Amino acid sequence: MRVATTARRRDIQVAYLLLAPTLLLLLTALAYPVGWEVWTSLTDLSPLKDGPTAFVGLENYRRFLADPEFWRAATVTVVYAAVTSVAKLSLGVGFALLLARPFRGRALVFLAIFLPWAYPASVSVIGWYWTLNPPIPTAYSVFMGNVKYAVDGVLGGGAWAFLSVTLFNIWRGSSFIGVFLLAGINAVPPELFECAVLESKSAWRRFWLVTVPLLKPFLALAVFLSLTTAFADLANVWMLTAGRIVYPVVGTHAYWLAIRGGQFGPASALSLTLVPFLLAVLLILFRMFDPPEKERA
Amino acid sequence: MAQVMMKDLNKKYDEVHAVKDVNLHIRDKEFMVLVGPSGCGKSTTLRMVAGLEEITSGEISIGDRVVNDLPPKDRDIAMVFQNYALYPHMTVYDNMAFGLKMRKFPKVEIQKRVQDAAEILGIQELLKRKPRQLSGGQRQRVAVGRAIVRHPQVFLFDEPLSNLDAKLRVQMRVELKRLHERLETTAIYVTHDQVEAMTLGDRVVVMKDGWIQQVGEPLELYGRPANKFVAGFIGSPSMNFVDVKVADANGALWAETQGIRVKVPPIHTSRLVPYKGQQVTMGVRPEDLHPASGSDPREYCFDAVVDVVEPLGSEILLDLRVGNNTIVARVEPTNRVKVHESTRLALTPDRAHFFDLKTELAI
Amino acid sequence: MNPRPWWRKLGHGSLLLVATVYCVFPIYFMLVQSLKTAEEDVFGNPLIVVNPTFENFEELFERKGEARGFVGSVLRRNYPVLEWLENTIVVFAGSATVTLVASILAAYALGRLRPPGFRWWRRAIFATYVIPHTILFVPLYQVIIRLHLDDNLLALLLVYPTLALPFCVWILSAYFQQFPREVEESALVEGASRVTAFVRIILPMSRSVIVAAGIFTVGTIASDFTLASVFLLDAHNQTIPAGLGTMDVALDELLAVAGINLMAIPVVLICAVFARGYVRGLTAAMVEGA
Repeated sequence: MRVATTARRRDIQVAYLLLAPTLLLLLTALAYPVGWEVWTSLTDLSPLKDGPTAFVGLENYRRFLADPEFWRAATVTVVYAAVTSVAKLSLGVGFALLLARPFRGRALVFLAIFLPWAYPASVSVIGWYWTLNPPIPTAYSVFMGNVKYAVDGVLGGGAWAFLSVTLFNIWRGSSFIGVFLLAGINAVPPELFECAVLESKSAWRRFWLVTVPLLKPFLALAVFLSLTTAFADLANVWMLTAGRIVYPVVGTHAYWLAIRGGQFGPASALSLTLVPFLLAVLLILFRMFDPPEKERA
Repeated sequence: MAQVMMKDLNKKYDEVHAVKDVNLHIRDKEFMVLVGPSGCGKSTTLRMVAGLEEITSGEISIGDRVVNDLPPKDRDIAMVFQNYALYPHMTVYDNMAFGLKMRKFPKVEIQKRVQDAAEILGIQELLKRKPRQLSGGQRQRVAVGRAIVRHPQVFLFDEPLSNLDAKLRVQMRVELKRLHERLETTAIYVTHDQVEAMTLGDRVVVMKDGWIQQVGEPLELYGRPANKFVAGFIGSPSMNFVDVKVADANGALWAETQGIRVKVPPIHTSRLVPYKGQQVTMGVRPEDLHPASGSDPREYCFDAVVDVVEPLGSEILLDLRVGNNTIVARVEPTNRVKVHESTRLALTPDRAHFFDLKTELAI
Repeated sequence: MNPRPWWRKLGHGSLLLVATVYCVFPIYFMLVQSLKTAEEDVFGNPLIVVNPTFENFEELFERKGEARGFVGSVLRRNYPVLEWLENTIVVFAGSATVTLVASILAAYALGRLRPPGFRWWRRAIFATYVIPHTILFVPLYQVIIRLHLDDNLLALLLVYPTLALPFCVWILSAYFQQFPREVEESALVEGASRVTAFVRIILPMSRSVIVAAGIFTVGTIASDFTLASVFLLDAHNQTIPAGLGTMDVALDELLAVAGINLMAIPVVLICAVFARGYVRGLTAAMVEGA
């Protein structure tokens, strides 16, 4: 049985008090909206419709599960998330390993690798997008235009625009992960790496047997953070181009339904489909970067 | 006046009863050492005095005040921690001045006190440095300096020398002792090292499993341990224990076990009479065993086989086997015994100890 | 270590070069464009600028007052860039402050005071990351209208902190959790109250982790385009990203690029100054395996 002493009780009260601002922010800006989405996803709420809103149960979910458009969007979403994550991770690990040992000019290279993340994405995405999809004749627009037509010709209309967002996300994400993993490498005592050099001649084996396990918590956290930014970047470009990306992913598809179609019900249902999936990923990753605490002495 | 009184002190955590019914009176200007193996409750006791740990039941008073409900800052104490607990972002000067600033001392006074303390500890040149630029010993001095500038009523030391290497530890031990003699402030000192306890303490408290085992002056603990635990804990190498049977023969009592048959020394005879025919534990310190010579009475001698010889220079430790028992003897460096040889040992009769087998209390 | 053979050095060097170019080139490209004249933009070499000029930046600020004229028959709008800049600074500084204060308090609660179930609190707060904000703006808009914050910078001050808060609480509480207890206790014995010990001892000692959290916050807020452009409609209330989004790129491409750099350069400079602290802080926070 826990012996709750007065000091401990006071500590707990203070703790809740200190948590209050955070919880308040999260409740108003997240919990309420999510609750609204959950409720709405069970109704046929629409600003374009007269008459009372009806509760339709899981109808919205049922409807889009039967919709091939949804499955196409879901496939694109999963492929997009997987491809960007793998690319960001491999590049990020590469950057971190490049910077792991001291050499002349290391600070400069570090800064260079830090830049894509530090450069504010809200504006760099604008620049990036318009550079790769130039709207007006410039010195490079002919070249870019040719690339665009070539890619779209092979993969269908809008492919190049989508690809350019993917490249942007990889460019920026690999920078974040690289710097993040560098922090991880710094946290590992150098003796461990030196031991590994003595024990294993092959750099590749050493990488998988020593580096990856040691960096596991960092890798897991990095994967998760990069997953969440993958969708944010997409949303940014989608907003920017007012939906001109014709490759639909789950989030933009939902947005389309809500804003253009006024179908809040189905849109909410759709936008929530990602959440359980991400939550499952997070629960798995928690085991790696938040292991049960060792008992304090 | 700064005596420290602990009355029926108890500390219970969720499942652990860490400190049990501790009653202790630490006199003004006394250097009291709490010693025991890890988890014996000594640190918890100290932390309760500091106010860092809540008291489950009982009462602590410092001077004439009951301090149970006072926060640490109002107890007029200073504490030195095992990891020094210096503030890494402040200079040595600021580290030492922190407590005085908190108590709103005038600037001139702060300066004077810090200078004085630095002088006492020989760290005047370090005042402008940051803790990470200091060696372990220097950090230790700063931690002590931080404690003494405040002229507190009581010093609390929580294993302050454990992180130092052996040589430095001995040196700092001497310095702490000298410092205490100079400042004459009540001090409570926690350590797991019995040598530190013996050399520093005016009195020593031995603890185990939350209980006080014995309180006494160092030589009293060494010479008249209250129970088997204290006997084994104080002294290095520790006391040899052999379970023996008390036998009555030829008008005297004998302690017998396989390979050993020695007479119960006269000073113990009367107390061992009730144990006639029963098992007791006999304890003999390694330094109270020596190679038998002609002058040793035969009834205090026995034979043993040498297992290991550890020459330490000033002395030799012999690990020996007698019957099923292993014992250690500390002998002169001139001794020339070899491994596997049999040798005859004699014990100093009035230095033998006897303990009840069940209660482990001294008989 | 034995000296490495020349071909490995060369390999390492060229990899470094490739990595650097890969990371810097797009930024370089945008910078170069912003320094070009319209003529050079169309006819010059895309990779270099021959006659660098600040006229695009000047024009950004000069286009005040009246509509400035016509290109063909299309009206070229003017943009209140100075106001955007002001708004951006207010929003960024404000949200970063709110985020840091809230997360430091929460992290202290979770890492030091440890209310029952603190591990699950931590995880739950971090898990709010799985909710993509960008899909929430219909209900978010309701909240904001209910609070009378529509078309108001305060709306972003409410929403932006939740973007980086989960991560900041995570790393700060991880750091506080393994913060040497004795140092805080020592301050308490020395005469500090808990609040004083926190302000005078714990906060300064956590500087690098707070820097890391701050840089992460700025980087995260600076990547939002969607929320800003949804919540801020009036041109005078917009931040730079939201404003740039409303530009007609077909007409004002060079202006837009200049605007991008106007926003990016200060942010990049701040990040660059604290870059080492950022890494050090992340390391410090994560050293204990979480």
